[in-house]
Amino acid sequence: MSGQPQYFVMLFKAVSYVLKAEKILKKEGLPHKLIPVPKNISSDCGICLRFEPSIQNKIEAALLNKVEIEEIRELAD
Amino acid sequence: MSKTKIVDARGLACPQPVVLAKQAIESHEHVKVIVDNDTALENVKRLGTKLGCDVKVEKKKDGAYEINLTRKGGVAGAKEEFVPSCSATSAQSGPFVIVIAEDKMGRGNDELGYVLIRAFLHTVAGQAEKPNVMIFYNTGVKLTVQGSEVLDDLKQLENEGVQLLVCGTCLNYFEIKDKLAAGTVSNMYDIVETMSSAGRLIVP
Repeated sequence: MSGQPQYFVMLFKAVSYVLKAEKILKKEGLPHKLIPVPKNISSDCGICLRFEPSIQNKIEAALLNKVEIEEIRELAD
Repeated sequence: MSKTKIVDARGLACPQPVVLAKQAIESHEHVKVIVDNDTALENVKRLGTKLGCDVKVEKKKDGAYEINLTRKGGVAGAKEEFVPSCSATSAQSGPFVIVIAEDKMGRGNDELGYVLIRAFLHTVAGQAEKPNVMIFYNTGVKLTVQGSEVLDDLKQLENEGVQLLVCGTCLNYFEIKDKLAAGTVSNMYDIVETMSSAGRLIVP
């Protein structure tokens, strides 16, 4: 696991975007988990989607032109 | 004799801090006691006052307290026995219990409530201070069965020693008893007993 983060988190502009993205990913069978936005990223009471780096491309492709992604970041442990 | 005796009582359980403080002040004019919780602070302050000491408290940046006890006059003898109180304010007497009464958090919007309960459980699983027991009933039991999106969080809590009690009547009602994937099937007796003996009980 040297250097490679275990998870990425995908941030969105609004909660409704997260829910829409979640619905699409569920339908596509792409594993992900809805978690609170980590404190080191934002102190807002926000939520985001966590996923494994290996499926980043698939996730981005599934959401392309459907949900606007604000940012993808590494999840610090 | 004028040297300050330092008693580091951080991490010690009640009544250890106050016992050590008492021993120290009996043989020293000036004692500095370091404690890390409010119960110990109150007990040591009370001891100092009772023994007729000058008591000064200093709060440190790391949350600890330094209590400086200085004997006034020569004699520091308590007329009556000092009884430390270990059940004061922040001290807990029973288990820390979290009750999950629904598969959502808060009332008003179910879709949002389902988002919140998942975020809540994920956060609880990542907290340093974990509950001793978590109780699941009504639609809350749906979070403990196969296909639940918080199973990994619940399993992690279970692995770390948190007891998960899942209402059997509820599993039966939803016909998902055979799908239980985290926790143990429980009954109203255990649930009531656990709630009654709780030192702290949270219902999100």
